[in-house]
Amino acid sequence: MRAYSFTAVLVLSLLLMLSMHTWAFDPEDRVKDVMILSTTPDYDPVRYESAMITADVWRELGMDVTVRPLDFHRLIADTRDEPYDFDAFTLGWSGRIERLDPDMFLYSLFHSSQAMPGGNNRYGFMHDEYDRLVEQQRTEMDIDARQQLVYEAQDILAEEIPKLTLFFRDEIQAYNHENFEGFLVMPGEGINNEWTPMKIEPLGDQRMLRIASTEDLDTLNPLAATTVWDWKNLRLIYDKLVRISPEIEPLPWAAESWEITDDVVIDVTLRPDMKFHDGYPVRTEDVSFTFNYMMEWGVPYFDAFLGPLESVEAVDESVIRFTLKEPYAPFLTNTLGQIPILPEHIWENVVEDYDLDHPEQWDNPTAIGSGPFAFNYWRRGEELRMDTFEDYFEPASIDGILHIVYGHAEAVLGALEMNQADMNAWRFEPLHIAEVERMDHMTVTEAPDIGFYYLGFNLRRPPFSDKAFREAISYAVDYELIIEALLQGYGQAGAAGMVIAPGNEFWNNPDLPRQFLDVDEARYRLEEAGYRWDDDGYMYYPE
Amino acid sequence: MRKYIVRRLVQMIIGLFLVASVTFLMFRLLPGDPTASLLDPAFTVEIRETIIERFGLNEPLHIQYINYLQNLVQGDFGRSFYYRRPSVEVLGDKIWNTLILMLSSMIIAYSIGVIGGMILSWKRGSKIEWGGITLGLFLRSAPMFWTGMLLIMLFAFNLGWLPHSGMRTPGYEAATTFAKFFSVDFLRHLLLPMITASLYFLGTPLLIMRNTMLETHGEDYIELSRAKGLSEWRIMILHAGRNALLPVITAGALFLGQALGGQVVVEYVFGWPGLGREIVLSAQRHDYPVAQTAFLFLAFMVMLMNLVADLFYSYLDPRVKLK
Repeated sequence: MRAYSFTAVLVLSLLLMLSMHTWAFDPEDRVKDVMILSTTPDYDPVRYESAMITADVWRELGMDVTVRPLDFHRLIADTRDEPYDFDAFTLGWSGRIERLDPDMFLYSLFHSSQAMPGGNNRYGFMHDEYDRLVEQQRTEMDIDARQQLVYEAQDILAEEIPKLTLFFRDEIQAYNHENFEGFLVMPGEGINNEWTPMKIEPLGDQRMLRIASTEDLDTLNPLAATTVWDWKNLRLIYDKLVRISPEIEPLPWAAESWEITDDVVIDVTLRPDMKFHDGYPVRTEDVSFTFNYMMEWGVPYFDAFLGPLESVEAVDESVIRFTLKEPYAPFLTNTLGQIPILPEHIWENVVEDYDLDHPEQWDNPTAIGSGPFAFNYWRRGEELRMDTFEDYFEPASIDGILHIVYGHAEAVLGALEMNQADMNAWRFEPLHIAEVERMDHMTVTEAPDIGFYYLGFNLRRPPFSDKAFREAISYAVDYELIIEALLQGYGQAGAAGMVIAPGNEFWNNPDLPRQFLDVDEARYRLEEAGYRWDDDGYMYYPE
Repeated sequence: MRKYIVRRLVQMIIGLFLVASVTFLMFRLLPGDPTASLLDPAFTVEIRETIIERFGLNEPLHIQYINYLQNLVQGDFGRSFYYRRPSVEVLGDKIWNTLILMLSSMIIAYSIGVIGGMILSWKRGSKIEWGGITLGLFLRSAPMFWTGMLLIMLFAFNLGWLPHSGMRTPGYEAATTFAKFFSVDFLRHLLLPMITASLYFLGTPLLIMRNTMLETHGEDYIELSRAKGLSEWRIMILHAGRNALLPVITAGALFLGQALGGQVVVEYVFGWPGLGREIVLSAQRHDYPVAQTAFLFLAFMVMLMNLVADLFYSYLDPRVKLK
């Protein structure tokens, strides 16, 4: 009897152990169907190949990974809207100049209020302490105190890792040094920044700066403009109260000075004796009209910059008073530094005169502004011509600018080679850099990008809902290979959670930890977190 | 005859209505939504909704459809989501550029093709025929980007005779609209893309012409003409050629209808600001109004050219009676 029960216990416990063993590797627990969304290879090979290279490393770790290439707009929509059916995705943010201010990358991308369908917090990142910090940096008008808050926010992102930055591209461009000298290089902008045409000196007979681009602008109407190409040109035709200096500091420009009386009232003194291109004087009323007009009609592109404004009024002939609803730190660089001054006498009746629903629908065929260059003509798909405005307070030395559209990157290269263009509008394809370096009449310039390419995670579901998993995975990305193979080496490796580029020197937190490919380290960290592998090498979730 | 034209026009209107409906649905069934391209990705949720409302995309589909048809009947083709301008203007900007390139290439391709085809069939079995057919097939199968790039390499970069990109020299100021399109500068820019396109188009009329001409060889009226002692050239062109022309006319008319939509490849290689790229971009951007207008326009052109071809038939071949 006793022997019988002993055997029974033995058999039972053996059975239990066996079942424990098989239960330990329940197929349900496998880390499987991990899905990386990416663009199609023909839309952007870099994003697609980055995803493929990463998927290979993850497979080595025993994960079951699928890369799904999607049409770009579908990718945007699918990562932004429910049901959020993905685990990771590769996307990028372009380094537009207003993004030098850290607010957009820190607040709009990661604040919990943006983690709803249609919002930009695609990760579903929720962090109370982080929310508090990015709200605070928004209203902190003291720049050093703000820098501290921005640093701390970056620390949290590096620790929580809602995304991995894969790389920051180098902006390689070139100009013809036999025709012009004195080009300025700016982070994120390269040489095609707003200062280059204002500052360069012609060296010979070529006095028109010819910029070769593969892209045309889409509109001359500042209320409808959204692309980099629209703004790179419109900001030369239209003047701004503040411009961002080559050293990336807010510089009073059409404004002579500003005075922040308390954090929410800013008095801006207008530079005297400025003129619009049609000869009308630039008055303080034009400035207040511009801001009020845009607030009244709603301009999506400027919404973030106009949102904090309570009122704008022309106090007298030289002073405009801006009143804010609450302190807004990017006010100088973004609100004053991005919004163009419109002539009231042209815009006030546009909607009635042309029978429009919204002023953004107007063609603005003659584009009268008060900027350093006056609009001459625009042949869509061909070229835009602007001439130096001689009545400007600091007229440029060159005669004007031609923004010339070419069909593709090879044609741009050909135009530079044959002295049909003086500079390119945008960075070279990595493969073209060696070719342009061989051209004797060209000088190659290099600027760090402030935008970045990244691998975002879906924190709403396993496996990326687990912070330890994300930490381990930050060592399972081949940053070097991606830069070497896809960018021909012209880029800087990213890091876990990094959104403020090292090129953005003032705001980048230099103490963030950097990762590199180390599959053993990743495996070790996963093991520490309780992840397991079966005999075939498949990875399982912790028990 | 007049009855026939009226009937065809009524058919065309019905056809266009169908095309308008199908394209309306088709673009809305595409994955991804227009807001993705309409909106800067940095926009907040509220702005996105305002914009969606501004374009009437918040309405249920059937209301959008009815609105679209109503506007269409009144001649309003809608405003581009992307450019915020009327879609007709967006396409109108580019249509002349396309028209000039396509018409000139077509005239060259079809004149050479038709005459070449006649000669090939007349020289049946000779080395000329063999060489001509091979050349025709070769040109027809050589991709345009390849021929285009070869021509650019040779004439623009190596010899430096012709420009490699665009329609006009940068900074060129034309005194009049006429000079914009008929200056030496413009013609120099037109030459390479036109040659590239016409080389590619050449194969179709050449081979069709040859094939249909072959059928006329044994016909009684050819024998009769010979018996009358007419010259071979006269027989070939005026008698056999005229009768063999019909299929080429159909092919040409249909081709022209489509070609007006632009040729993306030529436009890309030569940086020619034509309709083709605009249409591709509008589909990529989910810019419904522009894409729909473009498709409607193309459908209209194909139908119209078909009608023209049919009318031309009765002129060329009196046996064809239109009822």
